[in-house]
Amino acid sequence: MAGPLEGIRVADFTWVWAGPTCTMQLAYMGAEVIRMESMRRVCTLRMLPPWPDGQPGVNRSGYFNQYNQGKRSIQLDISKPEGIEIAKQIVGMSDVAVENFASNVIDRLGLGYEELRKVKPDLIMISMSGYGRGGPESGYVSYGPAQVPLSGMSQLTGYAGWQPMHVGMSYGDPNAGLHAAFAVLSALFYREQTGKGQYIDMSQQESTMAVLGEGFMEYEMNGAEPPRHGNRVAHMAPHGVFMAAGEDRWLSIACANDNEWSALCGVMERPELASDPRFRTLADRKANEDELEADIMSWTLMQDPLEATERLQAAGVAASPPLMNRELAEDRHLASRDFFVEKEHPEVGVRQHAGIPWRMSETACEVWRAAPVMGQDNDYVFEELLGMSSERIADLKARQVIY
Amino acid sequence: MTPMPERALDGLTVIEYNRTGAAAYAAKLMADLGAEVIKVEPPTGDPDRYLGPFPGGEPHPEKSGTFLYLNCNKQSVTLDITTDSGLEVLESLLREADVFVHDVPPAEAEPLGLRDDRFRQTNSRLIWTAISPFGESGPQRDWKAYDLTTLSAGGWTWLNGWPGHPEMPPLRPFGRQSAYQGGVNAAVATMGALFARLRTGRGQHVEISAQECITAILEMTFAFWPYMNIPTARWGQRPIQPIDFFQCKDGGWIFVLCVEEHQWQRLVELMETPEWTQWDVAANRFVRASNWDALRPFMEEWASQWTTDELYRAAQEKRIPFAPASTLGQLLDSEHLKARGFFVEVAYPQAGKIRQPGAPFKMSETPWQIRTPAPALGQHNEEILGERLGLSTAEIVSLNGAKVA
Repeated sequence: MAGPLEGIRVADFTWVWAGPTCTMQLAYMGAEVIRMESMRRVCTLRMLPPWPDGQPGVNRSGYFNQYNQGKRSIQLDISKPEGIEIAKQIVGMSDVAVENFASNVIDRLGLGYEELRKVKPDLIMISMSGYGRGGPESGYVSYGPAQVPLSGMSQLTGYAGWQPMHVGMSYGDPNAGLHAAFAVLSALFYREQTGKGQYIDMSQQESTMAVLGEGFMEYEMNGAEPPRHGNRVAHMAPHGVFMAAGEDRWLSIACANDNEWSALCGVMERPELASDPRFRTLADRKANEDELEADIMSWTLMQDPLEATERLQAAGVAASPPLMNRELAEDRHLASRDFFVEKEHPEVGVRQHAGIPWRMSETACEVWRAAPVMGQDNDYVFEELLGMSSERIADLKARQVIY
Repeated sequence: MTPMPERALDGLTVIEYNRTGAAAYAAKLMADLGAEVIKVEPPTGDPDRYLGPFPGGEPHPEKSGTFLYLNCNKQSVTLDITTDSGLEVLESLLREADVFVHDVPPAEAEPLGLRDDRFRQTNSRLIWTAISPFGESGPQRDWKAYDLTTLSAGGWTWLNGWPGHPEMPPLRPFGRQSAYQGGVNAAVATMGALFARLRTGRGQHVEISAQECITAILEMTFAFWPYMNIPTARWGQRPIQPIDFFQCKDGGWIFVLCVEEHQWQRLVELMETPEWTQWDVAANRFVRASNWDALRPFMEEWASQWTTDELYRAAQEKRIPFAPASTLGQLLDSEHLKARGFFVEVAYPQAGKIRQPGAPFKMSETPWQIRTPAPALGQHNEEILGERLGLSTAEIVSLNGAKVA
């Protein structure tokens, strides 16, 4: 069965993490995604670890290979006039163009929406800059890690009484990428019915704030910055990550109601805690949360977190260790769902990658090929799609347009 | 001739049944682009009505900030789907719908009768989108989960903590991020299925695992195992530096970031080339990371001589990607966000006027819009169940166990 976007082609000008996350979703659905890359300006991810054996190489980065699965790659220097012309030819044969340079960079390159729609009038184009187009900070530079503090997420995240914290990853990037994929798909849906393409302006700062809605609601309702509460929340107790037996081992537990709390007490073999007046209701447990957590930790400290999770789940209590990469890679549940993707790659061989978090019953989504090595699809695009002669290609390579 | 739709998803009807925020966010993304979304709520209401935050901390089902934010542009009908008659009404709603999105986990959905084979039989064009913590197969399918444990099972919680403080626990990010990610992934997959339907004429079943949504976005940390057999560092892999917070003299926090070497060179200029930046241990982004404990105090001292805003502007002036740790108040007052018209003010009948995050992207032809505030519980019972489905008032009352008039 063909994927849902079979027949759709995407001209992919993206780099780093946000843009590639967007185009990877489209590739998962069967769109033909053509990355335009060059040795003159190598994608940041190709230059970052992890690399097998610690040996760097533009085709060896696990970071790049994770987020560019199922795409094609050509080498094209779009800082040269001929490179721009070829890029336009590719856009002319595409349905969608995606870029995530700083705002207006794509216009300066001569590949802005107004130029591209001349070659493809019903083009859908999305720009995913850090700050969006227009506004006094539009030209500012931004990378994913900075979107977490910039959006307000750092002020909201952290241990009680400690400084604002990061969230452990550049969340603004994949979150923007997924919202961008939704925007592109909505625009494609509209175009299919009306014949009209359009331009989409995304600010990563804004798409990050879109997933902090409850924080802004609290600020507006009560006129104060929401305080940082560590792992605690107002509507559940216990709700925490507790130290377990072993070195740096932990267990996350959340109880939404008195029944779950009572079940937790049963597994801890402390049934008396369920009727302890300090802990009987949610309000009681919130009022005495330090003591509540101390009692739970006196039990978790003696527990292997994986084994305790099994027992808690059997009793109907939501629990999980905070899994690290190795545990995820070896997770029997994820494996049983065929979540991981292991495709042969010319330079790194077969490696495990996270796959597609959804399944469709009729139009299957899949990763048809590992992430491309730089220029892996030069022949396909320049010869087959664009019909260039081998002499022309040799000449473009000699002059480092194809580079 | 039918008029050309003005919004991207005009003409689509989405039925939503929300439990965790994931279904509500998926439907919000579609509602804000013009889809008609009918929320089916149990007679007691969507659980998010009880979540807060509330004005003055006083719980009220029409004033929950989480609920209000996620449910503008939607209509609400109440229906007890634990009864056969409730399920029959849901079936009538789904007969005319394009999408059904819900986030009831399989262990509870099946006993409830929320099975797509029944409903897709009467509407072969229906997209049935089901979000659950662990998906619909596998040994942990029926494990219980809330946001914290889903984020933990997905591998995110492990990434955050405090270097040098191993006694502090792995830390969740703010907000129900597994619900937001489950929701946006569901919206992406649903749009893919709708696009396919334009060609095939047929709907399908779409399944989303929130755990997998998280495992799919762990930056480079997951790959460190299959590529190098290196377990994830608990505060996230920081292979390069600087990526760090520093406190400024006004008490605010600046996030200092240099991804590319040329950005570091310009930062060295901004710092007026202090001696330590010329040492071998600061020579490139990788060795700076290895020696960060020793280098960090120099930068801390330097940053403390600036106000947050001055330092932010001075760095950006030199195209160095610094950012402040913005407070929500600062964001609501931001000249940049005002110029872009980001925040929207919504007048809620009971909670009053609230400025909240607006469009996550701007489409040139088809606007993102807030057309109506979040609905009151059962606000559209008469309109949808009565006028559209032809139920009498008495039937509507009995459907809801006489709880809703």
